[in-house]
Amino acid sequence: MEMLNQFFASPVMQESLPPALLISVVTASMSVMVLAHRLSFLTVGVSHASLAGLGLAVTLSLPLLPTATVTALLITLLLANIPKKQGITDDAGIGMLFAGSMALGVVLISTASRYEVDLFGLLFGNILTISSSEMQWLLLVGALILGSMVLLARGWWSIAFDPTTAAAAGLPVPTMRMLLYGVIGLTVVMCVKLAGIVLTTGLLVLPAACAWFWGRSLAGLWSLSVIFSLTGTLIGLMVSYHRDWPSGATVVMALCCIFIISWGGAWLRQRVQKHKEQE
Amino acid sequence: MSNPILRISDLSFGPEKSPVLDQINLSLEAGHFMGIIGPNGAGKSTLLSAIAGLIQPSSGKVELFGKPLNQFSRRKLLKKVGFLNQMHEHDPHLPLRVRDIVAMGTTGYAAPLWKRSNNSDEIMWALEQVEMTDLAERDFRHLSGGQRQRVRLARALVRQPGLLLLDEPSAALDSKRQDKLYALLRQLCSDRGMTIIMVEHDIAAITAYVDSVACLNRRIHYHAMQGEQIPDDIWHAMYGDHIHIVAHDAGCIGCAHPTEEEQ
Repeated sequence: MEMLNQFFASPVMQESLPPALLISVVTASMSVMVLAHRLSFLTVGVSHASLAGLGLAVTLSLPLLPTATVTALLITLLLANIPKKQGITDDAGIGMLFAGSMALGVVLISTASRYEVDLFGLLFGNILTISSSEMQWLLLVGALILGSMVLLARGWWSIAFDPTTAAAAGLPVPTMRMLLYGVIGLTVVMCVKLAGIVLTTGLLVLPAACAWFWGRSLAGLWSLSVIFSLTGTLIGLMVSYHRDWPSGATVVMALCCIFIISWGGAWLRQRVQKHKEQE
Repeated sequence: MSNPILRISDLSFGPEKSPVLDQINLSLEAGHFMGIIGPNGAGKSTLLSAIAGLIQPSSGKVELFGKPLNQFSRRKLLKKVGFLNQMHEHDPHLPLRVRDIVAMGTTGYAAPLWKRSNNSDEIMWALEQVEMTDLAERDFRHLSGGQRQRVRLARALVRQPGLLLLDEPSAALDSKRQDKLYALLRQLCSDRGMTIIMVEHDIAAITAYVDSVACLNRRIHYHAMQGEQIPDDIWHAMYGDHIHIVAHDAGCIGCAHPTEEEQ
């Protein structure tokens, strides 16, 4: 109990909890769409590609988050327009852009002076170093992402289930897909702040993956995903605070544990149901 | 009767030298039930896709409910169209209840979340039509192929469309279910004035229910009305010399003697 009090009373946590929880709600919401549309590799690609944006920002001394946001957005839209008809598939395109933009990022950052860049923070995330202007940026982007979920979630959901029928029902499927890619790009950039480039995919896949065992509808999956994500973030930050572990990595580890527990729970439930049926 | 639900004029699709669809002309009135038959690769699904606005024809035009189908009218016109694509194009990985899937067929489904529409009556009506009400709360992924197909059909029906496009709706259904399906479709045409276009392989199975059968192989070779005979040369033009692979018996539209067709 004392441990909890200490955790919530510490000024570092008081400052970093709100942005962490905001990010966790936003990424959990989008993770439902990432899983439904099978875009986990896209999140890997865009998060690594955002290194190019951060490199640009460092080299040209532009503000970090906005520059990274714009770059990630551009790269996602480029990915959405990969010439699939000529045989370049999504995963090949993501693989190429991912490698290319990461290489660009590494070159750019290597030319910058060492003190400017917290490379470890970029790669693995550091929620503890968030400035007030960055917080405003997070709030703005977060509101934009949640707003588009409220507006488009059901359309995206029905496209994930069956794109042909969704198009035949009159939905502008290509436009909606493009928007989805864009919003996922935005989410990735938001997430990089907490989990870093390497761990972003964890935050954008794990919450919904935990919920997948239990939810049976869009609303159910969405709320479960948010609950799992908030739990994982809180537990992760607490452990990270007490053990002095890196925050992003600890949060992702906590989410992995929740996934395993969720999986085990689902397996147990199945066994019990089978047992009941046999009786 | 002068206002057709669907009018297709001079529709072609694909490269000019070897078009997938060539100069299709077709007009259907309300309440008409048409079957489309033809060999593999004849352009049957392509024709349905053109009518559903999924592909842009290279030339010619499609009119739905008296209005030309284009980029601007598409959204509004398609609200009155139900569409069932081929079953194998679809892989269910989302955890969803049967009723949620049928809900996806309602016209306001993709609206923003604050516009909560209560359409459970329509959903239950559609599930009733395909006899799936008792499975409404079940997980779609755990259903059999035939049950899934019936749920997909309910999703096409739930908006009570004026025009229903069905691509091999009887896939995965046993013969008893197939007959039930055709009887249901017949009833929807006769009682509710729904117009239905259905792609099927087995002309013998559908012939007692449909009003007409179109023989399609790139172009419509023949459009046979109930009781009319499809000439032998049409069969040959469509299927080549492999005509014996087509199942047909004394009860079928194309093959029956006109005197036996009177019932």
